[in-house]
Amino acid sequence: MGGYTGQILYVDLSSGRIEKKPLDMEFARKHIGGLGFGTRIYLEQIKDNPVFDALSEANPFVLMTGPLTGLKLNGVARWAVCSKSPLTGYWGDSNVGGFFGAHLKFAGYDGIVITGKAASPSYLFIHDETVEIRNAEKYWGQDIYTVTDQLKADLKPETQKAGQVLAIGPAGEKCIRFASLINNKGHAAGRTGMGAVWGSKMLKAVFVCGTGKIEVAQPEKLDELKAELKEVYEESIGISAIHAAGTAAHMDVGIISGDIPIKNWQMTEWDDIDDIGPTEIEEKIFAGHKTCYGCGVACKKNAEVKDGPFKMEKGPGPEYETIATFGTMCLNSSIESIAKANDICNRYGMDTITCGSTIAFAIECFENGLITEKETDGIALTWGDSAAIVKMVEKIAKQEGFGAILGQGSAKAAEHIGGNAADFLTTVKGLEAPMHDPRGAHGFGLAYAISPRGACHEASLTFEAEGGMIYIPEIPELSADLPEGSDERAQLNVVAQDYGMFFSNCAIFCNLGGMPLNATQALNLVNFATGFDYTLDEVLEIGRRVWYLKRGLTNLFGARAKDDRLPKRLMTPMTEGPTEGSVPDMDKMLAEFYALRRLDEEGIPTKQVLEDIGLPDLAALLNSA
Amino acid sequence: MGTFKTPEKLEEVLVGFFKHMGDTPLIADKLLKSGLIIRFNYTDPDLVVVVDCSGDKIDVRPHDTDTKAIVEMSMSADIAHRFWFGMVNLTKALTRKEMVAKGPIPKVLKLLPAIKPSYSMYPQYLEANGYGEYNITKAYTPPSA
Repeated sequence: MGGYTGQILYVDLSSGRIEKKPLDMEFARKHIGGLGFGTRIYLEQIKDNPVFDALSEANPFVLMTGPLTGLKLNGVARWAVCSKSPLTGYWGDSNVGGFFGAHLKFAGYDGIVITGKAASPSYLFIHDETVEIRNAEKYWGQDIYTVTDQLKADLKPETQKAGQVLAIGPAGEKCIRFASLINNKGHAAGRTGMGAVWGSKMLKAVFVCGTGKIEVAQPEKLDELKAELKEVYEESIGISAIHAAGTAAHMDVGIISGDIPIKNWQMTEWDDIDDIGPTEIEEKIFAGHKTCYGCGVACKKNAEVKDGPFKMEKGPGPEYETIATFGTMCLNSSIESIAKANDICNRYGMDTITCGSTIAFAIECFENGLITEKETDGIALTWGDSAAIVKMVEKIAKQEGFGAILGQGSAKAAEHIGGNAADFLTTVKGLEAPMHDPRGAHGFGLAYAISPRGACHEASLTFEAEGGMIYIPEIPELSADLPEGSDERAQLNVVAQDYGMFFSNCAIFCNLGGMPLNATQALNLVNFATGFDYTLDEVLEIGRRVWYLKRGLTNLFGARAKDDRLPKRLMTPMTEGPTEGSVPDMDKMLAEFYALRRLDEEGIPTKQVLEDIGLPDLAALLNSA
Repeated sequence: MGTFKTPEKLEEVLVGFFKHMGDTPLIADKLLKSGLIIRFNYTDPDLVVVVDCSGDKIDVRPHDTDTKAIVEMSMSADIAHRFWFGMVNLTKALTRKEMVAKGPIPKVLKLLPAIKPSYSMYPQYLEANGYGEYNITKAYTPPSA
């Protein structure tokens, strides 16, 4: 056996019971790791009682690494979390890098399953074989940066070696529905509100310190492949670009094709965009490179604002999605204010995509008179007002006044505001769309609509394939030169889901750090690490099963065909710019996709397809729901 | 056979456009700030063009194979033509090696905001200089309209 540590930790916060269960290698072979393990374990946990609130103690939380996590390779530091989403009420998951996953494996665990609810603020202490639920009263209320530093300092004398902290901030404690989990101050499991799940369980943090090593099955073959990949990485322009400028490089590239949403998705061109692009970032806020465990790509950047109203000390800087949500979406051309908004989100523990999109939504409500300064506690929420945007981020984080309304996310805020506020929403299944415009690439539209967790560009590899970041010659659909428009996008989505579930959900390659890899290289990395002999067909089938599991779980939580729709805003054609007149043909793509995936008219996988893919228990559960 | 039937026609159109960009302060000032020397290697038909931004004005030199370039960009003439309309998915073209860039990539990336205005200039340039047959922009409106 290689790649895995062979143990999964089960922690019940209600009873205080801690169990270490051996990883069944047949199970590992069948599910690979990450959300392959996570979806299956989650289903086992809830199948006897699948009706519960996401913020109740009945909602389990699962954190899983992959077989490559913790190896010194580019783009494999990632791990995944899943639970029912407090933001959407449907399936929730998030995928994150950093150092926590690697150190969890060094401590001897492939993952953690957390159930129940603690009676008082608690944290989980993991030091190799020692696993304890400890009192976190003194850390409750601390922001992410403080609790990270404090826990490390407090526990260093006990563990001797520095540990890693995964924590929630005050946003998670207050169950803000888009609260995140954050490792090392800037590596966020941001989407779908997993931090609120921890807050509801009174779980402040997990501290891990491991001294072990991860063995691989075929070290010589792995080393040979690493040497071969060195050249592949050196030649990759995409890798060079994100190493140099981080994901912010997309500000320069995305604007050409109309990919970047501007003014709450009402524009695709903006004269001020260069003010928040890579060149200005480098000149004004750049404060050094950062990376995840073992990864030489180093796409993360630190930021610092030395003076002025948005002064912030050196810390993790804003990435593309954050720059767009707090920048272009709000017509905010102050990169310093964007860095500050990002800093607040990191400290309090909030998802920047939902936070920024919700503020852009609120600005449009304000512009249209649906809310006034009376509702916003005296803040004039206008386009481009950097100070007002940052102030509103703070109010959301602290749940002050109107901030408490926006802290529910834009979909629930629209219900509160009323009128035609819903016209300004950019959500699918209650999750705000990421910063990539499906009017320019129609496959994204289908991907957002049928993603189990709501509008998401990383719920499959559709974004990477249609956007051109990846080229997988072994899979025709992922190497085809597609015509413009909506043709062939359903098939693209199906295959991008199957391969994506393998690639970035189960093996947990980073979609950025892993972008130069073809399927053979990715498969060989997994096989040399684990000692398994997976074929491409086999991992595609595993990926397919994971997709149906996620889809079935989100159906179990109530999602239906009517929820597989893009919001009006994203379906409104632009009158000028690169995407002028273009909207995805959702009816056509959905009909084709439903047929290919064998979903019934309600959007639920048929009993037959679930049985065919090896999920008869999910079929029975959906049938009885 | 690509859009341009002969190397001479490609040179006439593209070199002319590069010179036009060099005479446009909005673009030229930013290119000069980069100080880059870029060699474009086109195929089908074949042409080599150096765009030298290291002096006090943009110098466009076709057939210059001697100058040591800082950045080398290689692509087919058709890809280049579509690129100047803003119709090439740059990410995809680079991933699939339809465009190959050699040199300091961060410096190349910095050029993207500088050349952005050229996408709207190219169809206008083609129409204004008698190359309307190469204008593949459907919604082109003459400047005088």
